[in-house]
Amino acid sequence: MTLSQAMFPWLLLTAAFLFTLGALGVLIRRNPLVVFMCIELMLNAVNLALVGYSSYLNSEEGQVFAFMVIVVAAAEVVVGLGLLTRVFSIGRELDVDDLDELKQ
Amino acid sequence: MNVLLAILLILAAISALGVVFSSQTIYSALSLVLTVGLLAVVFLVLNAQFLFVVQLIVYAGAVMVLFVFIIALLDPAAEDRPRFLDLRLILGVLAVAALCTAVFVAARNDVTYDTSCTTQAVTCMHGYTVGSLAATGDQAADPFHTFGFPENAVNRAGNVQTLANQLFHTYVLPFEITSLLLLVAAVGAVYLTRRVAVGPRRDPQAEQRWRDDLVEGAE
Repeated sequence: MTLSQAMFPWLLLTAAFLFTLGALGVLIRRNPLVVFMCIELMLNAVNLALVGYSSYLNSEEGQVFAFMVIVVAAAEVVVGLGLLTRVFSIGRELDVDDLDELKQ
Repeated sequence: MNVLLAILLILAAISALGVVFSSQTIYSALSLVLTVGLLAVVFLVLNAQFLFVVQLIVYAGAVMVLFVFIIALLDPAAEDRPRFLDLRLILGVLAVAALCTAVFVAARNDVTYDTSCTTQAVTCMHGYTVGSLAATGDQAADPFHTFGFPENAVNRAGNVQTLANQLFHTYVLPFEITSLLLLVAAVGAVYLTRRVAVGPRRDPQAEQRWRDDLVEGAE
């Protein structure tokens, strides 16, 4: 069953809302773990839009691209959480405002 | 189907609010699990069965377990001072709202799909025309236009078979590059989490005092 024309703008709107929430969380939260989760939320919003378009346009390429996005998200989480455990192991607080060595 | 999709989307939006506005990290993680699961069901409703399974296995199965494990390992404290009414917050919200509006408006109006390719559009590659070039008379009345594809042509051979055909024929090179990306990520994670003597300890004087106390206790 393909996506009906009435529901398609609502799906797009939900995807935009989830993306906005993720971006807002990246901006206002200070815990790097929550920041990572918000990035995951943004990637999921993009996936929702891709699959919605794929269903609406009857084209499977959106699903292929969403699959690639999932793979990239998994790789990003692995490297990011590895970095976080490394930061924590040298005795730093988990706060993105304090981790500013690269600025200096 | 429309009612089910609407309920799923509303629930996903509400649980996504929980990801951003929970004070405890573990609540954020559990809200994200709920969001990811709801989006997986949305994929199932949208006839993307393969992505439904992949979303459940990779996100709910692997990524979120990794998140919860790291939360249990690091035990982050709740944020005691949320940054409310900060200038950065206000500017960030405004910028993000503008971005959201722009993306939604662009997705709703400006990209059209011209199947006939008979209009006087300048750019007509693979049927895609961008902007108002393809807006002809009867199409302009319908904001999403009508598409000339047969109903549900994608999944005629089955969703997994169709996706496999795309992945291993049309997009075989990006697929192989993806495997390289995963390999690099795995090597990087192992490199980052290896056990070495990293820099100075947390507090050398405190450790010295701790050793002195041990010596005194033994005496």
